[in-house]
Amino acid sequence: MKKKRIKKALVIRYLLLTAGMLIMILPMVFMISSSLRPNEMTFAYPPKLIPSLSEITGENYRYILGNASFFQYMKNTLFVAGMSTLLVAWIASMLAYSISRFQFQGRNLLYRTIIMTMLIPGLAMILPQFELAVQFHLIDNLWGVILFYTAWMIPFSTFLIKGFIDDIPKEMDEAIYIDGGSILTVYRMAIIPMASPSIAAVSIFNFLFSFEELAWSQTILRSDRLRTIPVALTQFFQAHNRTDWGFVLAMTCLSMVPIVILYILLQKYFIAGLSSGAVKG
Amino acid sequence: MNSNNRRKGTILVLLIVMIVGLFSGCTSNGTTATEAEEPITITFWHNYDAGAGQVEVLSALIEEFQAENPGILVDPLYLEWSALKNNVVAGATTKMLPDILRGDIGFVPLFQSLNVLVEMDTSFDDYAKAAETIMDAPNSTAAKGGHYYGLAANTNTKILYYNMDLVSTPPANLAEMWDIAEEISNDELTGFVEAWMGGWNLCQYIWSNGGDVLSPDYSTAEGYINSPIVVEVIQRMADLHEEGAFNGPSIDPGAPGDTDGMGTGKYAMTIDGPWKANDFATKYPDLNIGTMQMPAGDVDSIGVLGGEDFMMFKSSDDAHKQAAWKFIKFMTTKEAQIEMAKVGQMPVNRETLNSQEALDAMPLLPIFAEALETCRTRPVIPQWGDVSGIINTKATEAVLGLKPVKTALDEAAKEIDALLAK
Amino acid sequence: MAEWIKKKTKRQDPRLLILLFPGILMMGLFTFYPIIKMFIMSFFDWKIGFNQQSLFVGFQNYRDVFADPIARRSLVNTLYYLILTVPTQIVLGLGVALLIYRITRFSVTYRLLYYLPVITSWVVVALLFRYIFSNDGLLNYFLADVIHLTDGSVGWLSSRWPALTATSFLGIWKGIGWNMVIFLAALQAIPKQYYEAADIDGVNNWQRFRYITLPGIRGTLLFALVMLIIGAFNTYTPIAVMTEGNPAHQTEVVLTWMYTQTFDSLKLGYSAALSFIVTLMNIVIAVVLFRAFKAK
Repeated sequence: MKKKRIKKALVIRYLLLTAGMLIMILPMVFMISSSLRPNEMTFAYPPKLIPSLSEITGENYRYILGNASFFQYMKNTLFVAGMSTLLVAWIASMLAYSISRFQFQGRNLLYRTIIMTMLIPGLAMILPQFELAVQFHLIDNLWGVILFYTAWMIPFSTFLIKGFIDDIPKEMDEAIYIDGGSILTVYRMAIIPMASPSIAAVSIFNFLFSFEELAWSQTILRSDRLRTIPVALTQFFQAHNRTDWGFVLAMTCLSMVPIVILYILLQKYFIAGLSSGAVKG
Repeated sequence: MNSNNRRKGTILVLLIVMIVGLFSGCTSNGTTATEAEEPITITFWHNYDAGAGQVEVLSALIEEFQAENPGILVDPLYLEWSALKNNVVAGATTKMLPDILRGDIGFVPLFQSLNVLVEMDTSFDDYAKAAETIMDAPNSTAAKGGHYYGLAANTNTKILYYNMDLVSTPPANLAEMWDIAEEISNDELTGFVEAWMGGWNLCQYIWSNGGDVLSPDYSTAEGYINSPIVVEVIQRMADLHEEGAFNGPSIDPGAPGDTDGMGTGKYAMTIDGPWKANDFATKYPDLNIGTMQMPAGDVDSIGVLGGEDFMMFKSSDDAHKQAAWKFIKFMTTKEAQIEMAKVGQMPVNRETLNSQEALDAMPLLPIFAEALETCRTRPVIPQWGDVSGIINTKATEAVLGLKPVKTALDEAAKEIDALLAK
Repeated sequence: MAEWIKKKTKRQDPRLLILLFPGILMMGLFTFYPIIKMFIMSFFDWKIGFNQQSLFVGFQNYRDVFADPIARRSLVNTLYYLILTVPTQIVLGLGVALLIYRITRFSVTYRLLYYLPVITSWVVVALLFRYIFSNDGLLNYFLADVIHLTDGSVGWLSSRWPALTATSFLGIWKGIGWNMVIFLAALQAIPKQYYEAADIDGVNNWQRFRYITLPGIRGTLLFALVMLIIGAFNTYTPIAVMTEGNPAHQTEVVLTWMYTQTFDSLKLGYSAALSFIVTLMNIVIAVVLFRAFKAK
């Protein structure tokens, strides 16, 4: 009897999940199907969710992939996202470790300031930050994007990783100290391996953020060969009077491929890494 | 201990790599101007429309220019209208500016107020000579306080586009145009579309009916923007909107855009610039579109002068300035202007305007040339962008019925006067 | 032994500087410095350009913000967006997490598909949503011509509240996946023994949720609330793309108004003041939430 009830509950679960999922992916289906249709068909009335077979064309994809720039944009984007993610993983984990494990002067002040910076609207600082970028000769330079992204992503990442490190028992640290290790050895031998799920989890968020950030990269990156995908996409769309939807949607779909792969690869760590850090609040 | 040192070493190396990365950018940026034998590269920001083929024409023209001037390279960068302005704003204090910018005539007073533009008539001996080849009205948009801060690149004003399948007899005057819009509108069709409600869009109706936005010396809006003439103009729009005969994407963000709406027969009439003809031809080739000069109001048909100017920036050194000036002169020659006319840019070169080649490239040229004779420039003041924004806000509030027309315009007058007082 | 460890960790080990230096350098340079500069700017009529003099104006910018009806409206609109999106995202995200948590098959597929909206480009999906909610868009077509619920088109984007609601849908749609992931993580951290004990006691589903799950995810709930509230105050793209603040600034939110004031009106001091007011609101909300959760 009980088994039957559980089975029924399970069916309801799947039904609910599938129904919700259908609503969630509807805009995506529309996006993918439109990327397979000729440009001018995108917003035809009445709207069509699924293109008929005769309409389907790979023309948009051929155009984007045949355009050598796309791979350059992708390379830039991956470089920016990868580099910023790595830098943040390195810097934030060190900060988190220091704040979590040691009582040093100004520790609370530092942690509070880190939390506070998360509360400031990001766009607000664009002008002073731009002036800074000019002073450091970072305009039209991928590092101008990477370094600022890194600085922006550090607070949130530190916050999450610190929560995770708080939960790691100190036995390992002690063992290393007894063997004559320093705090740097502890960082490398105990903290990095133990906190890796949480570092991986924030890295997904960070990668995603730097992969699609627009406002800042648009201000910094000017030459075509340095553009990242979001910038290229926007410029392309604006330069063509917001008409070539097919190309834009095809480019969007293509640009999602690396992130989907990354998500699938890391999703196991994703959940595990977030669990204790976030729970702590 | 050993491993500690190694660890420290790694961190130091990483830090150094980072700092080197930081500064590798400056070396690649800063060396161009110093060596004399190296060709001079001038950066050129513009918003030529790639969709209309203007960017291709620009590339061809640049190649031609570079062939004629071996020492100079032109590095063009497309930036959309607002990005163009925002990048100048962001770079104004730190001098991260291009050598040349080709942008909206409205940018001249704005950028001049930032003190970034080169005073071109005193900087180049042959400015007057170059300006002579250009029509006076367009070039007057580059003038401020007796000096010139730019050279006209192209000009335009607006004409009436109407769907000939929906509008059988074109209107004889503005009042008739509104009547037609009212008559033909139904659930599926909006008679008239206005893309925005700022000065660029409303001045033409106000001027044509004998009104104005500001006093002639630009000192006040009181008694002008809220005069009975303007109230009447806006009231008519509000009534038409109420009946579903007047709309636009800024009045109703859910409404179709003006080009697409005209193209798919959801709007019947619009008043817009020469680029619209291009948009319709490329995107909706089957559209049966009619064109005529903007219908006259109570006084005349007075359009708004639009267009773009070439501007130069104080941040460039002399060598770059000279090279940039050469390029600007090249872009305003008859040949270059005809090439641009072929892709929808209305020439400012006197010779070009009357040439058969230009006419072949731009069949609508006579209508525009006629409209240009009566059109007027918007006030050349740095606050104009904000003034225009206030007009848009208040007129839209009135058209939507959020406020009585008179109240909205009185508020506009007050806000504009506060702005002008600064 | 313990003493010795304590000493070791308490002592100011100079190596700590190596750990702290890169982070402090990066944040100090690229975040703290601009923040301080913004704070200073908020007391000036800040001018940009060559050799421009900025005038000290005291609290005038702050007074201007409070006197500006559009700034006030943009704050109200932001709060409306916040109230609509934050609880909905949490409820739906938690709901999906609860459903996915207990299934074994296709769990990864569902996780991926629900997370997909999170990884799409904001600009592109905002454009798509503008089309979906436009007068001749997908939604009106569906309501009128497919299920005949309405006769004709509804102006979703045409006026203030419906338009803000439409943009909130975009925010919710794009946020559910993030909440799902966060709550899935929290659910997995709840010890299984609690549920087993509850099963023995024969409690019903609601009781399980109320007395085991909810207390177990309290920390995450607080975390999600704070992050989403910050996110709501940071809303820019949905509005900038779907309505552009139109008509007549009726749908302006804080960030779109700040952006217009910065780049169109060049009122830099004003924008700086506005951003500090928003920051202050964020801090107050965060502190109140922390207190409320701690008190329980």
